[in-house]
Amino acid sequence: MSKLRNGKTFRRLRRTLTATIAGAAIGLAALPLAGRAATPGSALVMAWNIDAISTFDPAQVGEVVTNELIQNTCDSLVDFDPSDESKVVPGLAKTWDVSQDRQQITFHLNAGLTLPSGNPATAHELAWSMQRVVTLGFGNAATLTEYGFNKENVKERIVATDDNTLVMKLDKPYPTNLILQAIGANRVSGLMDMKLLMEKQVNGDLGNKYLATNTACVGPYRLAQWNAGESIVLQANDNYWGEKPKLQRILIRHVAEPGTQRLLLTQGDVDIARDLSPDDLADLDGKPGIEIKKVLKPQLFFWVFNAADPVFKDEKVRLAMRYLIDYDGLAKSVMPYLGVPRASFAQIGAIGALDEKEGQPFSLDLDKAKQLLTEAGYPNGFESNVLFGTLPHSAPIAQSIQQNAAKVGVKLNLERMANAQLFSRIRGREFKSGMLAWQTGVPDAHGNASRLVYNPDNRAEAKLTQIPAWRASFQNEDFNARVQQALLEGDPEKRNQLYFSLQKDVMEKGPMAVMFQMYNIIGASDKVKDWSWNGFRVYYSSAHK
Amino acid sequence: MVDITQTAPRAIAGTRRKLLPSWVTFAGKTLLSVCVTLLGLAALTFFIGRLLPIDPVVAILGDNSTQEAYDNMVRQLGLDKPLWYQFGVYIKGILSLDLGQALTTGKPVIDDIARVFPATLELASVAIVIGTGLGIPAGVLAAMYRNSWIDHTIRFIGLLGYSAPNFWLGLMGLVLFYAGLGWIGGPGRIDLIYEFDIQPVTGFYLLDTAMAGNWDVFRNVFSHIILPASILGFGALAYISRMTRSFMIEQLSQEYIVAARVKGLSWHRTVWGHAFRNIAVQVVTVVALSYAFLLEGAVLTETVFAWPGFGRYLTNALLAGDMNAVVGCTLLVGVIFVSLNLLCDLLYRICDPRTR
Repeated sequence: MSKLRNGKTFRRLRRTLTATIAGAAIGLAALPLAGRAATPGSALVMAWNIDAISTFDPAQVGEVVTNELIQNTCDSLVDFDPSDESKVVPGLAKTWDVSQDRQQITFHLNAGLTLPSGNPATAHELAWSMQRVVTLGFGNAATLTEYGFNKENVKERIVATDDNTLVMKLDKPYPTNLILQAIGANRVSGLMDMKLLMEKQVNGDLGNKYLATNTACVGPYRLAQWNAGESIVLQANDNYWGEKPKLQRILIRHVAEPGTQRLLLTQGDVDIARDLSPDDLADLDGKPGIEIKKVLKPQLFFWVFNAADPVFKDEKVRLAMRYLIDYDGLAKSVMPYLGVPRASFAQIGAIGALDEKEGQPFSLDLDKAKQLLTEAGYPNGFESNVLFGTLPHSAPIAQSIQQNAAKVGVKLNLERMANAQLFSRIRGREFKSGMLAWQTGVPDAHGNASRLVYNPDNRAEAKLTQIPAWRASFQNEDFNARVQQALLEGDPEKRNQLYFSLQKDVMEKGPMAVMFQMYNIIGASDKVKDWSWNGFRVYYSSAHK
Repeated sequence: MVDITQTAPRAIAGTRRKLLPSWVTFAGKTLLSVCVTLLGLAALTFFIGRLLPIDPVVAILGDNSTQEAYDNMVRQLGLDKPLWYQFGVYIKGILSLDLGQALTTGKPVIDDIARVFPATLELASVAIVIGTGLGIPAGVLAAMYRNSWIDHTIRFIGLLGYSAPNFWLGLMGLVLFYAGLGWIGGPGRIDLIYEFDIQPVTGFYLLDTAMAGNWDVFRNVFSHIILPASILGFGALAYISRMTRSFMIEQLSQEYIVAARVKGLSWHRTVWGHAFRNIAVQVVTVVALSYAFLLEGAVLTETVFAWPGFGRYLTNALLAGDMNAVVGCTLLVGVIFVSLNLLCDLLYRICDPRTR
């Protein structure tokens, strides 16, 4: 081979190669293809993982991103005070009256409500929109069916008596505030474009298919463009009835990778990064030009025990497990940018919730755990399983508990799986214990009391799979009665007291060891002013730059 | 140079009476094997999908739904029917290009694929152009100057392309060229500001903007694609150059090379005119395989670069237990491999006179 090598060619080639490499380097250096971008002053640009979007129909939406978008494209009948989510403030309705028996609420709508299309926007369209939620029967219908509305009665129970008046009739004297919170939070009381949706109706779907890619609501913004898996543009409605949004457009770019979101934020290509990792947040915290903003959301992360399991059916064993959780240590190591310790079923910020101290009385106490286990008949511990999903903090928390449990002779086998599989196992009662998150829809203790404590029918064939207490095969008649009593108690102070004592008892005997309440947390450029939010919603229209 | 014995079987074959022209037999056989392959693939993926312990109904309705809604959805999806029946329905759907509804996006799988695949196809095509355009010359050079500094440099670059993980290269590339030097556009296919200036015709942003004569936007699209494509192309380059080098070394040690040199042919013509023509078939196979792997979608690269492509779609579908989407995508990957194989077969017939 080498004999055949032609020296002249070799030298020529070497020259060519050197020249090419040098040329390429100079070319590249002279080729700044992209100018430094700054986000436009009239638009808010966010990087967010928006993979899960499948529809913009308020009656169907149940996922975080679209929930937030609907809240900013669809005004609801009443709204939350941005600074205190437990306070209800006027929305589409400027005032409301409640009947003596608390079973009828009459809403008086604001004048001049407008739809982007210019179609009529009166109490009649609003009543139709609310009836539509129940008629379609997606998950969100539960917000109304829980309070006695159903497909048969909804047309008589939610009615427009004139263009500006809407009447809701309830089957029981529920606390008015709770009803208002429920309809304010859960996308069931938007005023939709009835005329347009009926024109677009396919096979009696009341416009559901049209709303898979469109919005048609009274609200400050409307969906201007959606490229699935790529980006979303919300455009301010010029004819909006309320205070005009300060920013003309909200641009959302789909970015799944937290590291990439961080790059875009620090480069100034986005104003807000929504899914930063705790490590990135810790790193960016305090950097000039970047602000970390957080707010507690109504989501609890807990360890649930199957009360049908021969070991976990004993409430002393369940209590012992609570003393194996290193709340403080985990709060400092794993959770600083994720959430705060919480043991009560009622989230911080909810009406009737215990305060931060009383709502989390536990600490790591191996002796106490050992003593409880001995009393329960397990002086040498036992062996059991913990299922958990893909939430990033699940594994470190489970491992920490596993280590503590080993010290009192309890052998916990950890089993990690896809979330869909985890949900199937837990819903099917096919587990001994598991870790998962649960989010309530109202800033009131009843929201979780009705799910995490109350179980009207513990039989397997009842299949109350939407109730975590049922999934845990847990039923306590005393707790059931107290949940019902607290729900219908008219005196707010007495009602609070009922919830306080219920929370204390459930923390001792309940089927879940609640561990943390989670944050909503973002990294934002300091150019973004008046970013306003609480645990239940984000208010795009007040933000400006 | 051609082995003389190779001609004998052809002569015998030529005497056989032909019932059908050879291209008809070829097309028939190919079609049959394609259909069997795809059917097998569909069956395998479908049944594996049904065996997975992931509940598609929970994936759609979420954790919070009632049993009534759950049962309704089971009926709606036809999951209460026997498995063979579901498979029959599925195959019938495929024949009419209906791959079912994707659970995660709520849209027909075929529409989703039509949306995400062009992004991957564009990226993979630019990457394979880079990989082939640099990989083949690099491989040939390395073989020509075996054990010289050129060979060592190319081997080093190749090893780097093999061993450095793409997502790491991607992040480092972004940090350097986007965050540090500001030469290129960041993640995504295009700056958000331009995103809505594009009228998708082909779905390939470079082509669409060029056809519209919208050069500002073209420049922007190019600034976004160049880094991910280079990184993917780098991986392909590593493979292509290594393979080309070993094919070439084998050819260069053949006696016909000596004969050509003795005859007085220049080194350049000997290598490119004789040796390279003889390895063309093998190189085509290598390039086609690399291209097929790129077309499957590079999940990690697509994630790092927020590239709305096929690989990420498929991975998300897998994680969510969205079996319609998974089976649909797997079928597409199957079709890609089968078509590239076919294309290779055709190219062999062009490159290699013996196969005609």
